[in-house]
Amino acid sequence: MIKRLVAAVAVATFAFTSTARAEDKPAKITVGYLNLVNAQLVTKHLGLLAKEMPDVDIKYVKVGGGGDMLRAIAGNDVDFGGLGNPPTAIGVTRALPIKGILVINMLDYVESMVVRTDKNITSFKDLKGKTVAAPFGSTTHYLLLQALKDEGVDPASMKILDLAPSDIAAAWLRGDIDAAWFWEPNLDRAVKNGGKILITSGEMAKRGYPTWDIGVVMNAFADKYPSYVEKFVKAECEGIDFWLKNPEKTAEIIAEELSLPLEDATRMMKGTGMVPCDKQLTGDYLGTSAKKGKFVDTLVSTADFLVKQERLPKLLPRADFETFVQPAYLEKVIGR
Amino acid sequence: MSVEASPMAIPISADRTRRGSLRLPKVSRSVLLSTLTVAVLLATWAVVTEMGWANELFLPKPQAVWAAFIKTMTKGYQGATLLQHLGASLYRILVAFALACLIGIPLGILMGVSRNARALLNPLIEFYRPLPPLGLYTLLVMWLGIGESSKLSLLFLAGLPGIVISTVQAVTSVDPVYVRAAQSLGATRRDLLFHVYLPAAGPLILAGMRISLGFTYTVLVAAEIVAASAGIGWMIWDAAKFLLSDVVIMGLIVLGLTGVLLDLMMRGIAKLLMPWS
Repeated sequence: MIKRLVAAVAVATFAFTSTARAEDKPAKITVGYLNLVNAQLVTKHLGLLAKEMPDVDIKYVKVGGGGDMLRAIAGNDVDFGGLGNPPTAIGVTRALPIKGILVINMLDYVESMVVRTDKNITSFKDLKGKTVAAPFGSTTHYLLLQALKDEGVDPASMKILDLAPSDIAAAWLRGDIDAAWFWEPNLDRAVKNGGKILITSGEMAKRGYPTWDIGVVMNAFADKYPSYVEKFVKAECEGIDFWLKNPEKTAEIIAEELSLPLEDATRMMKGTGMVPCDKQLTGDYLGTSAKKGKFVDTLVSTADFLVKQERLPKLLPRADFETFVQPAYLEKVIGR
Repeated sequence: MSVEASPMAIPISADRTRRGSLRLPKVSRSVLLSTLTVAVLLATWAVVTEMGWANELFLPKPQAVWAAFIKTMTKGYQGATLLQHLGASLYRILVAFALACLIGIPLGILMGVSRNARALLNPLIEFYRPLPPLGLYTLLVMWLGIGESSKLSLLFLAGLPGIVISTVQAVTSVDPVYVRAAQSLGATRRDLLFHVYLPAAGPLILAGMRISLGFTYTVLVAAEIVAASAGIGWMIWDAAKFLLSDVVIMGLIVLGLTGVLLDLMMRGIAKLLMPWS
């Protein structure tokens, strides 16, 4: 009994000292990345993060969509993650302990609304009585409802289904749905099988509803290992640089990572807006620590919309969204 | 004799009254204890949340969950009231369960009475029984689409093996003496089925049905994840996406209570159909 107690105390002490010693360096980090076409795939493929932190065990976890990523964050399963603006608005409102540190991508035609060609759908009004799918809680679900509202079409006049992107592709091939707003790489399968694009997320951005994905870090991690957050941002910036400078090689990487033909990867890449890291600190994006950029506006209006949809209980003050957007790490990396 | 008998009679009657007086408190005592468990649970919940020991995102206050209940009852959650969600789920469960019984019980009886049928069907049942129903779901969605049929099939497949296996066991455990006695009295196969096998195996079959209904119930949330727009399972799943934990917990409580009610109903039916069990 006493022996066991001594052993337990010894183990506990050892565990305690070992965590205390590791204070300045995490043993392992988990990066949740969205199944999307963006430079995070480049960073991952080239092992840029491992180069920044050679003696840290890095684990990449692919996450299907914003809803799943929120759950992963709420469950503390990841250290870094990526979120579209609607899940971000949900996360901030529900007081998830995260900060936004990096623009992962701006969404252009990599996310689009595809409609079945033989159903004669030329406008949102033609969707009445049809079956439409979108992953609920994601950027495209938000844009779908926003677009319907702008066009004065009652969402209740059609059947809107919640499906994960891969399930949308399967349901599309079976002919179960008439329209869907979702993203590459699965979007392409619908387009190639009797579909055409009705509207892209890029067009919605021009109408004043930009959608994007932002890189987030857990607050606990950022407080404990601030320099590793900078290393992460630096690695992602290198990935973005590589994407912008080497489009052909990037297409090869994307094609390999997502098992796609090269031409498809090239087209999908063009549908994604990558923002150079120094530009991310301007007013259109994160802005600076002193003056936060338009991302805050987008978050506030997205949250407001979700409150009106009864998906969120209340609209938080702007200050909470300003606190969420933290360009400080990127500023250090850029050297400002 | 009478002298001897009277002291004998006294302890018996005393024993009887003691047993009689024990019986009532015994029931109320177990009710009391059960109430105590629920009360302690609720009180702990209230204290933990009131003191701010738990993050409200993960464990909302009891009154928040109650408010979510009232709101969902009256205003609804995403286009359907709580009763409509519950109705959609109960419809799925009961239809699937009824189908599982309609197919599983005759199949089980057949396998129980006929060795050939058992040999023919056993590999199928034994292979399919341990398969997790969720593993099948992807395939079901691809085959049957995202509509009601794939959901019903998943629930049906979850409920079927339990019924078949318990029916086989129930039928094989019927005392062969009964069967032989009935046969010697000139019973036909039909008579055997309705007057020997079913009454004797009934209680065990019903127990299997109860377990199977419970199993069907556990697969409900999974069945409603893909392309549902109503149902308690869907409501829980959807609310989780938006981190509405008050709705999630409320949904789980409703699901739990409904499950208990369904089980009570099954027990009531069992008593009604088979008072001898």
